[in-house]
Amino acid sequence: MVVKNNIPSIVFIAPAIILVLIFVYIFSGWSAWTSLTDWRIIGRMGKFIGVRNYIRLFAEDDIFRKCLFNTAKLIVIFIGVTVPLGIICAIFLDLGVRGKGLFRTIYLIPLSFSFVASATMWGWMFMPDKGSINTLLRMVSLDFLAQPWITSTKQSIISVAIVYVWQFSGFATLVYYAGISSVDPDILDAARVDGASTFQRYLRVILPLQKPATFTVLLILLMYSLRVFDLVWLLTGGGPAFSSEVLATYMYRVTFNQNLFAYGASISFFMFVLSFVVIIVPVLIGALKSR
Amino acid sequence: MGKKVLIYIVLIALSLFYLFPIYTLLNTSLKTDEDLKYGPVAPTHRIFFGAYTHAFNLIKKQLVNSAIMTVFATIISSILGSMSGYIFSKFRFNGDKAVFLILVLGFYIAPQSILIPLVIFMGKVGLFNTYLGLILTHVAYGMPITTLLFRNYYEGLPQELVDSSWVDGCNTFQTYTKIFLPLSLPGFAVVAIFQFTNIWNEFLFGLTLTRGVTSQPVTVAVANLKGTTVAAWNMICSGAAITTIPVVLIYIFLLKMIIKGLLMGSVKG
Repeated sequence: MVVKNNIPSIVFIAPAIILVLIFVYIFSGWSAWTSLTDWRIIGRMGKFIGVRNYIRLFAEDDIFRKCLFNTAKLIVIFIGVTVPLGIICAIFLDLGVRGKGLFRTIYLIPLSFSFVASATMWGWMFMPDKGSINTLLRMVSLDFLAQPWITSTKQSIISVAIVYVWQFSGFATLVYYAGISSVDPDILDAARVDGASTFQRYLRVILPLQKPATFTVLLILLMYSLRVFDLVWLLTGGGPAFSSEVLATYMYRVTFNQNLFAYGASISFFMFVLSFVVIIVPVLIGALKSR
Repeated sequence: MGKKVLIYIVLIALSLFYLFPIYTLLNTSLKTDEDLKYGPVAPTHRIFFGAYTHAFNLIKKQLVNSAIMTVFATIISSILGSMSGYIFSKFRFNGDKAVFLILVLGFYIAPQSILIPLVIFMGKVGLFNTYLGLILTHVAYGMPITTLLFRNYYEGLPQELVDSSWVDGCNTFQTYTKIFLPLSLPGFAVVAIFQFTNIWNEFLFGLTLTRGVTSQPVTVAVANLKGTTVAAWNMICSGAAITTIPVVLIYIFLLKMIIKGLLMGSVKG
């Protein structure tokens, strides 16, 4: 039985709703409005100039185009590595190895690091001359593998992706492991009776059942790829030569370093639209389907 | 047999990938300035806490700031999330599903989308560079995830709890305080840990909503360590370690709750 209400539910949900309405939705709308002005000095509101900021953004701004390209590159490398890695680790842990708890703890520790701490740490790892990675390679006589990492325009965004993989692959492993563990044992027994090998069981039976886990992982990884700021800002500063500049760092630079508030707001609102199209629409479709 | 060995090799190699940067961080943080020239990989010759003292003195005010703001924001957002999660789980009203979705989807909106209005708003209402400003911001952005987590937690409690307490003459509020709150402890633990680690680690709001040390969170202070001295990597790493150690310990000792929070917040979302 579902109860009809006496004290209006609204009293309980009002704080949450009001806060989210103001801080998320009204503020996003405010960003959208600001992006249609030429506002750049605090204390004076800008004039309405229509979509001119967006024309400049898409037609004239090479750095913005670079940001889009870098974000796409980050997504492809980061997600392209993290998802298969998560699946493989989860399967390996599921195969009944010893010390599963220990491995799982180790894999999740990076998730506890703030991006500030990981940027500090990895900045030190990636230093071309004295950094840990190249030092380690030299110690084992693999000097030829030493890389310029964050100092190279070709590798800076790859370096960012490596840190992101380090930070989030444990999360992917966790979600896939939970997904694999929750497969109905009867289905597995049936497959075993049919003579399926371990490999076939994973490939044909278990993996096709991991669509919800994949959806979750992709959603969270995409969300973090689109909003990446701290890590890039502190690890590479978007450089060298904007080779690792992403939407969030460019938005911050334009708005708070160059004081082009309206132009920054157009990048802000573009990020809102992007979040909406790439993440929220799939969530909504998922929510409708599962009903 | 060979297969098992291969699996262990892969799992251990990955463990090294996860742990090596942390080794670098801790090893460097324990070095003397003199020892630094042997690089980050060679083990420190003797354990030296001087870099920690140095870093601690530079960030102690911000450590206190972060502690105060994180504790308050965590408590407030957990309570508000529990209240709304309770309603969305156990009561039906017109448009409840739509309202819930709109609320929870706020989680996915990139914080950069609202950053400029946020800074202006905080300036206008006099909360720029205050504890209250940052607490309010973290509470507001915590609402989607705390609501979702508590909704999913309360889904695990039977609807009969509400029905029977109504028969006993309790109203919505009494049902919440007398029946649900006492049963919410595990839920609060999961949500509070989730919120605490996220808010403690947050950087962007701290960076844009503060100026100087009055209310600056420790993440911003640690980021600034890099700028203050030329390559005093032992001190920089100490600073990063000081802020990270509490969260890592929470992860290690309360891993079960962390995992619960991560799965509850994402899989069912």
